[in-house]
Amino acid sequence: MNLTLLLIIIAAVAVASVGVYGLTSSRNFVRQLLSLEVVFNAIILLIAVMLASSPGVATILLVILVLIVSGEVVVIMALVISAYRSGKSLESDILGEEGV
Amino acid sequence: MVWETAGTILAALLSASLVLVALLVVTVKDLVYASILLAVLGALTASLVALLGYYLVAAFIIIVYVGAAVMFIIITVSMLGGGGLESRDHLKGAAAASLSLAVLLIVFLSYLRVPEVGLPLYVDVAGLIDRVVVDYLPVIAIILVALAATIIEAIAVARRG
Repeated sequence: MNLTLLLIIIAAVAVASVGVYGLTSSRNFVRQLLSLEVVFNAIILLIAVMLASSPGVATILLVILVLIVSGEVVVIMALVISAYRSGKSLESDILGEEGV
Repeated sequence: MVWETAGTILAALLSASLVLVALLVVTVKDLVYASILLAVLGALTASLVALLGYYLVAAFIIIVYVGAAVMFIIITVSMLGGGGLESRDHLKGAAAASLSLAVLLIVFLSYLRVPEVGLPLYVDVAGLIDRVVVDYLPVIAIILVALAATIIEAIAVARRG
């Protein structure tokens, strides 16, 4: 077994778990987005390693993934700006109570 | 052999840094610093991807993801002044993280086979681009239109507030 690939898989799994921790422990929209991006970085590494036997497919898949996530970031940040303008907070609980 | 060992040591260092920076992103109190650390995390991910041999993807991550998307997050969070107070439920987070760690480790190390390949991987970028342009041009066009629509939607949402 290739030790480099194994190390990267273990690191990516640990990073994904850290992202899940941030996603579930915080109620702040921005923190949840940042945690989601941490999970996304882990997914990039996992795809890169698991599709190492067909690097051409992996390259296309990863480029499309990066494009889609960049679009997702733009939309979520627009929602964050909109929510902050309405409720002056980024806590999902407070925004829910105020009906934003 | 020497290069392989050096590559493994570099991968170990980068992997350890990756986990450390990821922990900092989710635990640092100031969201502006957390966003900046996300850029560092993206750069580390690009380094590992380049170490595997995907140079095009690494460049793409640095230019599009870190250079555009994460910079956008940093600027927005700085403009919002960090977003105010943040409430946390550490117990719930730790439980979810432990569960996901266990499931992912079992799935990736037991059921999925790590490919037996030599590093760095060889990707024929010129051939790949030719194939994409010839065979998958409609797909690329659809993705570009969808991204343009996404950006227009984001501008509309931000202006509505």
